[in-house]
Amino acid sequence: MTFRTVLMAGVCASLGLVWIIESGAADVFLEATRSEFQKIPLGVVGIDNVGGPESPEGRAKLGSRIEDVLKADVRRSLVFSLVDLAPLKIKASHPGAEPDPSFKHATENGVSVIVWGRAGLKADTKPPDVNMDGYVYDAGSDEVVGGKRYAGSTSVIRLMAHRFADELVFRYTGEPGIARTKIAYVSQQGTARELFVMDYDGFESRQVTADGFLNLMPHWSPDRRFLVFTAYRNRNTQEIDMIELATGKRWTLVSQGGLNITPALSPDGHFLAYSSSHEGNAELYRLDTRTKAVHRLTTNAGGDLSPSWAPSGREMVFASDRSGGPQLFLMSADGSNVRRLTFDGDYNAAPAWSPRGNWIAYVCRTPKKEYKLCLITPDGQKRRQLTAGPGVDDSPSWSPDGRHLVFSSTADGKSQIYMINADGKDLERITFTGTHNSAPTWSPAS
Amino acid sequence: MKKRPTIYLPLIFGILIAVMPACSKKALQSGSDAQTFQEPTTKSGITRGGNREGTRGGGGVSPNFPDTAFSGGENSNSLRGIDRDPSEERLNGDADGDGGFGGNGGSGNNRDRLMAKSDPGAATRQMAEIRSEQLASAAAGLRDVFFTYDSFSITEEGRHALSTNAEWIKSNPNTQLKIEGHCDERGTSAYNLVLGEKRAKAVRNYLVELGVAPNHLSVVSYGKERPFCTEHTEACYSQNRRGHLVVRIGE
Repeated sequence: MTFRTVLMAGVCASLGLVWIIESGAADVFLEATRSEFQKIPLGVVGIDNVGGPESPEGRAKLGSRIEDVLKADVRRSLVFSLVDLAPLKIKASHPGAEPDPSFKHATENGVSVIVWGRAGLKADTKPPDVNMDGYVYDAGSDEVVGGKRYAGSTSVIRLMAHRFADELVFRYTGEPGIARTKIAYVSQQGTARELFVMDYDGFESRQVTADGFLNLMPHWSPDRRFLVFTAYRNRNTQEIDMIELATGKRWTLVSQGGLNITPALSPDGHFLAYSSSHEGNAELYRLDTRTKAVHRLTTNAGGDLSPSWAPSGREMVFASDRSGGPQLFLMSADGSNVRRLTFDGDYNAAPAWSPRGNWIAYVCRTPKKEYKLCLITPDGQKRRQLTAGPGVDDSPSWSPDGRHLVFSSTADGKSQIYMINADGKDLERITFTGTHNSAPTWSPAS
Repeated sequence: MKKRPTIYLPLIFGILIAVMPACSKKALQSGSDAQTFQEPTTKSGITRGGNREGTRGGGGVSPNFPDTAFSGGENSNSLRGIDRDPSEERLNGDADGDGGFGGNGGSGNNRDRLMAKSDPGAATRQMAEIRSEQLASAAAGLRDVFFTYDSFSITEEGRHALSTNAEWIKSNPNTQLKIEGHCDERGTSAYNLVLGEKRAKAVRNYLVELGVAPNHLSVVSYGKERPFCTEHTEACYSQNRRGHLVVRIGE
């Protein structure tokens, strides 16, 4: 062995080590869901109604409607804990004025941030415009640190609250918040299943496709402009389509015969990973969205499906039944370095890699043969069951802040969509209409 | 002696730079060894692409769809921070991109634009074709094949049903048959599509064994997405675990 080879091996080894440490660090971020995370106590004095004419929207209710949405957003942010200010008798300050003397009473009771605002209808526009002002008092600096002024039609009332909530999260964490995120999902329309998009809280749902047959498994592009999904042409052929939400314009990306399922765009949008059985059984492929070249990632006798990208884009997790029932496997983005991740139970599928990198959510079959949500760390060291009880849970998808999951469940009979914190708390149902809502996927933040 | 480290520093950096590409190449190669790895298969130009109606025939990968790369950075929709003296922000809802529906004009309410531009008659035509397929299949007396939980093996009863079906297909050589694979609601939507395809292919393979020409048969998996019943009972589950034989109508 020459000196140069020894040196090269040594340098390679140390570089490799550094690279591994770095890649590990890049995928793990501070986690607001961990128990020691101190939520910031925030109180909402209220959103008062001001000026303007009466309207069908009801002026009297305008402020309280915005207030309700804002409070729900603040609570779901998990960055703040929502303090009930009513017993403390706090009065709103006038904008630009000194903080109201009653604020002292709130801060003495541990409140760190006080928020209030006002909303009204503008008389001079047709249709009437809504104005909303929101203000923020910070106990740390003991001053009114500023506010926001929004204007828009009566159809954006909820959005005003969502934006204000996201600004609050942004000010205290530097992250954009999730109140303006969307959830794409599948909903039964007659005998057909079509794609819909709704706000993250289940409101403002809009129909996206109307083919009259089956559209399944939507997945967002990282810039939120597109959905990729599985469509059936003439009931007989599956293909992977893409739709532009702003225009309804639609493209067929892959139609290779056999299954064309579980499409997922990489975090940088450069690659589409998907499962196709056109060469025999279901295998994973990677389509370069710029060159349109296809690269086969897996080769084995089992079915490989449901790829989910690590936030770094360097790895993916997927489901495969190569060893019997479906289990989760990890591999590099080029198909190399495949290793099995799950060993508990005989059915583990539908993985979703957290945008913070530290957890992979999936559907696990319990010893009682129930299909529930589980979490596992990418190193396989920690595993826990997140949901329990009756019903089939399916299609977990992470919020962009990594603090929540959305999923479908038949716990209440029909398949509906639910939200849960990554620590298993605050289970919340978010769809209530229709006979079947499923396959939710959470949009990236904007 | 004291000077030596400073002399070696540039040298070590030089070696580092020279060796780095070798490292990454090594890593890739050793990674590939872990699994039999196929040469990249490149397919292009098979479909006309560009819009949904463009893809026909054998199918493949569309050569023409927009860039999905994430450019990142600021957009008109970015948060602007809490201001000491806030200026008015006008919100247009989905039209200004707050829903990811943005970037296209931004005038008013785009609820109408949001709907996919699909053929308004498509749903009606689908319904009519499904109905005629059902009628033709019933008239042919085709029998379905039922499966046990988690399984795609054809049971004794299934083999009997398929023998009857095979005779009918052979005596009706001009018909095209579609085999739909269905699953019960247990398990994930995605994996049930794989299981449904295995069931449909098991049925097709047995029919071919019985002498049916393969070019008369096509398979499609519906997983658990088109159930025959929706109750959460074994009686319903067993109805939904099926290979459903349909006389194919339309394209």
